[in-house]
Amino acid sequence: MKFIKTHLSLIFPLMAILLGLEFFIVFDRTTESFEKSLKNGYTMMVVAKNEMSIDDFRSWDKHVLKVEEIKKSKILNSVNIDFEKEKGENLESSLPNFYSIKLNKYLSISELAEVKANLKKSEDITRIETFNSVYQSQYELFSFIKFSFNTFIVFMTIIGFFLILKQMEVWNFLHAQRMKVMEIFGASLFLRSKVLINLAIIDAILSAVITSGIFFIIQNMWIRDTQMSILKENVESVFYLSDFFILLFAAIFIVLVAVFLVVINVKEEE
Amino acid sequence: MSENVITAKNLTLAYDTTDKIINNASFTIQKGDFVFITGPSGSGKSTLLKAFYGNLKPQEGELNIGGLDMMNIIKHKLQELRTHLGIVFQDYKLINEWTVEKNVVLPLWIAGYTADVQSSQAKRLLHHVKLTGKEEKYPLELSGGEQQRVGVARAMAKNPFLILADEPTGNLDEYSSNVIWDLMENACQQLDTTIVVVTHRIPMMFNIPYRHFSIDAGGNVREVH
Repeated sequence: MKFIKTHLSLIFPLMAILLGLEFFIVFDRTTESFEKSLKNGYTMMVVAKNEMSIDDFRSWDKHVLKVEEIKKSKILNSVNIDFEKEKGENLESSLPNFYSIKLNKYLSISELAEVKANLKKSEDITRIETFNSVYQSQYELFSFIKFSFNTFIVFMTIIGFFLILKQMEVWNFLHAQRMKVMEIFGASLFLRSKVLINLAIIDAILSAVITSGIFFIIQNMWIRDTQMSILKENVESVFYLSDFFILLFAAIFIVLVAVFLVVINVKEEE
Repeated sequence: MSENVITAKNLTLAYDTTDKIINNASFTIQKGDFVFITGPSGSGKSTLLKAFYGNLKPQEGELNIGGLDMMNIIKHKLQELRTHLGIVFQDYKLINEWTVEKNVVLPLWIAGYTADVQSSQAKRLLHHVKLTGKEEKYPLELSGGEQQRVGVARAMAKNPFLILADEPTGNLDEYSSNVIWDLMENACQQLDTTIVVVTHRIPMMFNIPYRHFSIDAGGNVREVH
């Protein structure tokens, strides 16, 4: 019972920090592909008096990645009016040029407005239409979720750190006397902190294993059975083996800093 | 010619710059000496002992322990010096979560001796302090006298060249006190260990020659002949 209590009091705060870290890594990884799909789903249509190349567009805004010319005949066909052939040709030649533009990255609403304003500076461009109502609502929802999630992670991490500070006080209370006696008999800093280091490293390993286990279970037992497409599409991003080593390194780093702070704060009695 | 283990020249000790505890003391203690330091409460007996094991840096003068200048000693050298000292405290300073055997072999563990050496040395020392069979007990399961005997055994574990004892029999029963004095007398006579004991009262039945330093209320140290 004492063993469990001793270890859980460090494992819980460590896990809070590691869960926060892993959620951040996973969220960053999965939202990257979501941002990509949002970017690909975004369309900007430009009407220009004269023909324009991709370089012409890029000279006005660097975010332009791809330009597709929309055939005038296609537009006339879609209007579906039965013109005489000659009249149709005349009408086609009098029509301006239409372009569909793809952007090089996922942009915020304000950045999109900036792209639009830059393109409008061109005298050749007469009109720009964006089909952004779905994009905007998706983007705003996505931004809100991202913000909420990051806020939650930050708070979880802060609470984790506070709990570790409390644990450091407990360590100080439990181990200070032993460390002082050992110092009197000439033990080095490493020997004095050996017991604490062993304890902390065991807890760091356990925390990393449990946290990785949680994400492994989420990936393999929960997401694979879920009907939510956004999760299913990103199932592989939920946990990589390398994540375990990142968590382990982070946990060991945190506990060693905590141990070091406890040990250097134990002063020999005068 | 005898080897000086402790040399003090115009030694002044203080916890702050104004209040001097030990005032301008000069003396030498040689290898194999058994020294009692006496004086009234608050005269600086324990403070002097702390300076001997590097817990308090001299404010003025010189203090040399085992050839090391305690005024300018670096941390690493101080650690090394302490591994060659045996220190006994009035409040025992045992590690309560460790067994008696583990407490006794602490200096050997710090020095990196093998488990076999530690175990055989613990058995021998616990036999000397009449605590055979209590190896696996914890300090808080022992009486005060027994705890102090563990403390003395620990101080002698690594055959130190100097044993410093602060009121080692202060609160102990006669039996425990006699065991401790016998052990210290033997260490001094047979191993040529230098022993410095801070005490209020020199024991009546002491069987070997000793030196006696007295500290007065003003922190002046003088040898009593």
